[in-house]
Amino acid sequence: MSVYSFYIFDRHTECIYTKRWAIAQSLRRTVPANALSNGDVPAVARRGLNAEDDAKLIFGTIFSLRRMVRQLGGEGDHFLSYRTGEYKLHYFETPTQLKFIMLTDTRVGNMRTVLHQIWATLYVEYVVKSPLAPTEHPKGVGVANELFEGGLESFIVSLAMRSKEALLKRE
Amino acid sequence: MCDALKDYYRVVFALLIINKAGGLIYNRTFAPGLQKLDSNDYLILAGTFHGIHAISRSINPAPLAQHLPGYRKPLTTGIESLESSHFRLTCFQTPTGVKFLLFTSPEQPNKDVVVRRCYEIYGDYVMKNPFYSMEMPIRVEKFDRALGGYLVRP
Repeated sequence: MSVYSFYIFDRHTECIYTKRWAIAQSLRRTVPANALSNGDVPAVARRGLNAEDDAKLIFGTIFSLRRMVRQLGGEGDHFLSYRTGEYKLHYFETPTQLKFIMLTDTRVGNMRTVLHQIWATLYVEYVVKSPLAPTEHPKGVGVANELFEGGLESFIVSLAMRSKEALLKRE
Repeated sequence: MCDALKDYYRVVFALLIINKAGGLIYNRTFAPGLQKLDSNDYLILAGTFHGIHAISRSINPAPLAQHLPGYRKPLTTGIESLESSHFRLTCFQTPTGVKFLLFTSPEQPNKDVVVRRCYEIYGDYVMKNPFYSMEMPIRVEKFDRALGGYLVRP
C-alpha cells in the first residue's frame, strides 16, 4: 500500500501543510522490441501540475463534495472518502474545521483512524502544543517543524511496513 | 440480525443519469433515505458532479501504468465510488461519456452489478428506442417500468 500525498487545510481554507512522496516509476508490462513510437518509458511519473495547483484543486474538490454530501444526506452526514480507478482520497475534519486529506492507492481500506491518529498524536502534540508556533498558520508558518515532520514520516513508514508484514504473513 | 431486517438495510436510494455535457437526463428516487431535493437542485448537483469528476482525473497522483499500444481503457479515470456516513455513491462512466450515479445505503452489496444492470436496461429501452433523441432528458415509459421492476422493493 502506498501513500502518495498528505495535505492539511485550516479553517481559513488555506493549505498549511503539504507532503508528497515520490513513487518510483515501475514498468508494469515489458514493451516488445518492435513496438510503436511510444516504446520508451518516461523517467519520472507525469507531474504536469505543481504542488500549489494540486492543493487548490484538491481543496476545491473536497469543498464541493462536502456541500453535495450535506445536501443529499442532511446536516448530520459527513463526506468520508472517494475512490477513482488509480487512487483513493481520504478526508478527516476536526471540530475546529481543520482538514486532513490523504491520497493513497486504491487497495487501502478505511484511513479515518489513521488520520485521526495523525491529528491527535502528531499535529496536536507537536504543532498545537509547541510554544513557538502561532495560533493561526498563515502560509503554513509554524506547522512544518522538525518534530512534526519526523513523526509523520516515521508514522507513514511504519504503516507501510505493517501492511507489508500483514501481506507476508497471509502468504 | 434476521434476514428480513438485513434486507431492509440494503437499499437503492436513487439513480441519476448525466449526459456527455454534464446535463441531467434522468433522475428518479426509489426509496426514502436521502433529503428531498427539487428538480433544480438535482440539475445543479449533476453539473457539479460532472465538474468534480473531471478534476478528480487531473489530480491523480499515481504513476501512469505503461500499457501496450491498442489498450482500450482510459489511462486515468474519475471518481468511481464515494463514501459518506449515510450513503454510498457509485459512478459508472460508459465509454461514450454517459455517467450513471447510483445512490445506495452503505450496506448494499454488489453495487457494480446493480449499476451495470441499469446500464443494460438503458441500452435496451432508451438507446434502442427510435423516438429517443440523444443527450435529451429520458421520457421513456418502458425504461421507467423496467427500472422500477428491478430496483423498487415491493
